[in-house]
Amino acid sequence: AAGGWAAVCEKFRTARTLSTVESRKDPETEPYRSKYSARALLQEVKQLLSAAEEGGEARLLAVRRAVLEYELGVNHTDTEELSAGEEHLQRCTQLLEPHRLSPDCVSLYIQAQNNLGILWSLRDEIKTAQTYLESAEALYNQYMKEDGNPPLDPSEHFMAEEEKITDQERSKRFEKAYTHTLYYLAQVYQHLEMIEKAAQYCHTTLKRQLEYCGYNPVEWALNAATLSQYYLSKQCFMEARHCLAASSVIFSQAGQVPSAEDNETEQDQQDLRQRKAEIARCWIKYCLNLLQSARKLLEDNIGELDPDRQLELKAQRKKEEDEKEKGRKKAVLFGTSDICDSVLAMEEKVSSVYPLDFQEAREIFLVGQNYVLEAKEFFQVDGYVTDHIEIVQDHSALFKVLAFFEEDYERRCKMHKRRLDMLESIYVDLNPQYYLLISRQLQFELADTYYEMMDLKIAIGNRLEELDSHTIKKINSLAQLAIKYYELFLDSLRNPDRVFPEQLEEDVLRPAMVAKFHIARLYGKLITSDSKKQLENMQTSLEYYTFLVDYCEKYPDAVRAVETELELSREMVGLLPTRMERLRAKLCPFI
Amino acid sequence: ALPLLNSPSVEGDAIKVYVRVRPPSEGTALTDGDQGLCLSVLSSNTIRLHSKPEPKIFTFDYVANMETTQESVFSSVAKNIVESCMNGYNGTIFAYGQTGSGKTFTMMGPSDSDNFTHSLRGVIPRSFEYLFFLIEREKEKAGSGKSFLCKCSFIEIYNEQIFDLLDSASAGLFLREHIKKGVFVDGAVEQVLSSAAEAYQVLTMGWRNRRVASTSMNRESSRSHAVFTITVESMEKNNEIVNIRSSLLNLVDLAGSERQKDTHTEGLRLKEAGNINRSLSCLGQVITALVDVGNGKQRHICYRDSKLTFLLRDSLGGNAKTCIIANVHPGSRCFGETLSTLNFAQRAKLIKNKAVVNEDTQGNVS
Repeated sequence: AAGGWAAVCEKFRTARTLSTVESRKDPETEPYRSKYSARALLQEVKQLLSAAEEGGEARLLAVRRAVLEYELGVNHTDTEELSAGEEHLQRCTQLLEPHRLSPDCVSLYIQAQNNLGILWSLRDEIKTAQTYLESAEALYNQYMKEDGNPPLDPSEHFMAEEEKITDQERSKRFEKAYTHTLYYLAQVYQHLEMIEKAAQYCHTTLKRQLEYCGYNPVEWALNAATLSQYYLSKQCFMEARHCLAASSVIFSQAGQVPSAEDNETEQDQQDLRQRKAEIARCWIKYCLNLLQSARKLLEDNIGELDPDRQLELKAQRKKEEDEKEKGRKKAVLFGTSDICDSVLAMEEKVSSVYPLDFQEAREIFLVGQNYVLEAKEFFQVDGYVTDHIEIVQDHSALFKVLAFFEEDYERRCKMHKRRLDMLESIYVDLNPQYYLLISRQLQFELADTYYEMMDLKIAIGNRLEELDSHTIKKINSLAQLAIKYYELFLDSLRNPDRVFPEQLEEDVLRPAMVAKFHIARLYGKLITSDSKKQLENMQTSLEYYTFLVDYCEKYPDAVRAVETELELSREMVGLLPTRMERLRAKLCPFI
Repeated sequence: ALPLLNSPSVEGDAIKVYVRVRPPSEGTALTDGDQGLCLSVLSSNTIRLHSKPEPKIFTFDYVANMETTQESVFSSVAKNIVESCMNGYNGTIFAYGQTGSGKTFTMMGPSDSDNFTHSLRGVIPRSFEYLFFLIEREKEKAGSGKSFLCKCSFIEIYNEQIFDLLDSASAGLFLREHIKKGVFVDGAVEQVLSSAAEAYQVLTMGWRNRRVASTSMNRESSRSHAVFTITVESMEKNNEIVNIRSSLLNLVDLAGSERQKDTHTEGLRLKEAGNINRSLSCLGQVITALVDVGNGKQRHICYRDSKLTFLLRDSLGGNAKTCIIANVHPGSRCFGETLSTLNFAQRAKLIKNKAVVNEDTQGNVS
């Protein structure tokens, strides 16, 4: 009988090998060849077990039969025979039901539930999948609470005593099965649009991959960096920073694997450099979001730093943040001891609380700027146009938000100048035939930056007794350049016959209207001592304001997009003609 | 400037979607009236799918029934795009559908003939003819002041790798971007074309090099996407000024759509109600999906688009004229695939040139 059992185990083992190893090499014309052979073997084993039923111990037989039902269930699911698969898996769980909390069954039971979850998701019944997976999760928790010893791996039921695996390996496989449960749950929650919960399960999956060493460092690092971007969209900076720090730490392990060094190809090296640059880009977004969110908190109704709010927030910060973050931190911490230490050290390099003054903002800016340089090393304009420009745009955005914290207007102007330099040098070469979208973005941003600088120069000028000719020249030239880029943007909306669209597409409606509105204002700001010229500028200004008013009258749907601009335009359309009349009267007093 | 030949009235940038119903294969001639069919064409732009309990009606830019000729498909689908191409627009024509729905017939013609004088030749050879016809006409009109240069490349995307169909010895190629030239396949052979006949030759040669495999449905089908690209460059001399214009025409034969996990559905960023992915190494996809719903916040996603979408980025919501020909088989056995093709085509209509302009007027309205 012992020999008979050995043969049974051998058959079982062969079936497993066919199913997991051989099947990968099956030709495309017979994709399930090995799976079908495995199925036949499993059926044979099942027959042999039935024959042995007479004398055997009932519980032992039941568990062994459950293993076979499980394997057959997975086999049928894999070969797209869902109903048969479901039957086998159900039989497996029925057989195990009374013993599901015992160490020799719990792992198998969880895996059967996992597979039922997969099966129902294949049928697009996500809710049903969810119940199986959640029950697997609950069973794991209950088992760990009540017993917690490393349970038997399902394959061990068909192994001779001397082949059985170590407790350490048992635990590893059990934890892996549970990690899969969580990973499947993450997907189920995502499909059910329970996004927060899905993110939490992704986070836990990553955490467990790290704890149980089942990960590829590059892949893990990219996943963690991507997850950080989810946290950014939720304004959870502490969590975002933790993911990024862990990502950088784990990524640095990838380069250290010694065996890979020799046979690493040029391409692998290239890939590795690209991944590093991608992680840097996630860091850039972190710095940018943190600064921009802080700005939102601090600005007053005209977009300047509000000193009262600043004081208030500074006082509040001491009280709240410490307490609140500590509790949250425990929940998301990645890694064990040494990894954890490296991650914490990495975190210390950049804050995760809102910067409240220029000094604090500058520190975050500098970190962001370093990552800009790192990312640009790989994403060079020759070969990676889109990526490169996106990084430059981020760099410009970093300067822009830093300028908000800067009190000195001259220094603020210099920051904007830096933005212009970096954006203009790219813009000149860019072919809008292939990069229309980016080209428009650059035109608009350049226009806005000139516009902002002009406003700053006016503010600086207002402090003087009298505007000197140098400042006037500067203001006019900035205004002209702003107008130039707004016009370029508006021109990009014209059709091949150079005709401006009668009705604007929804996605360009707001920017186009804002461009028109800003041009109107810019003509109003141009300084000239020549009254005739001034009259001309007012006339142009009026035309642009009128465009807004007329357009919104014709297409009332547009009003929503430009409410404030429209209100001001209406006002100007009312005021300007009177002013122009007065000016005309002054010009020719005798008519 | 070039004259507008058939001045396409100001049309939006939305992708145009054409549905073509192929006739059932010979031998399966229907004896019992309409019962074997899962759909009927109601008009030149509506189609009814006999779903239960309620039939579903779909509306597209054009619906071609079983009797529609190759010539008529070309006129309503491709003619306009070739003309726009002469006017400096980029253009792209895709064929989409399950294996056996007639993609290759629509794009190329009958598979057993590589003779493109055949009256059943498809969209691609007809586009060549029309393009060179237009070029010749332009040249005649403009005299010696104007010259044209046409180049073509033919590549295949299989398993997220790019192969050059004009150089079967080449290894995997890479996509790169150039600030003036846009996205291109680095190292792909570019063949100069001076006539439609030359273009046929190149096409025939490349087509033979395609990776053809049998799918589990056991029909001959390709699991790869093939992209035939023609670059049209015109040079006009006016006294001292040289005016150069260039545009691309992409003709794409997508892999069969019956396997949802193939990249194009995903690639076009149109998500299907997904099944659970079992491989932990796909965790990134799950996370990316979570970030996708981010509310306009600044973010970076580490996973690049598929090769196909990257190459045709411009055509999918970019600065190009694009149309999709969705091929369907009317047999009732194809109901599931046909429904999914029509659903896909319906969603494709929503893809538009999305020009999101970063605008930040904070503090400027005062």
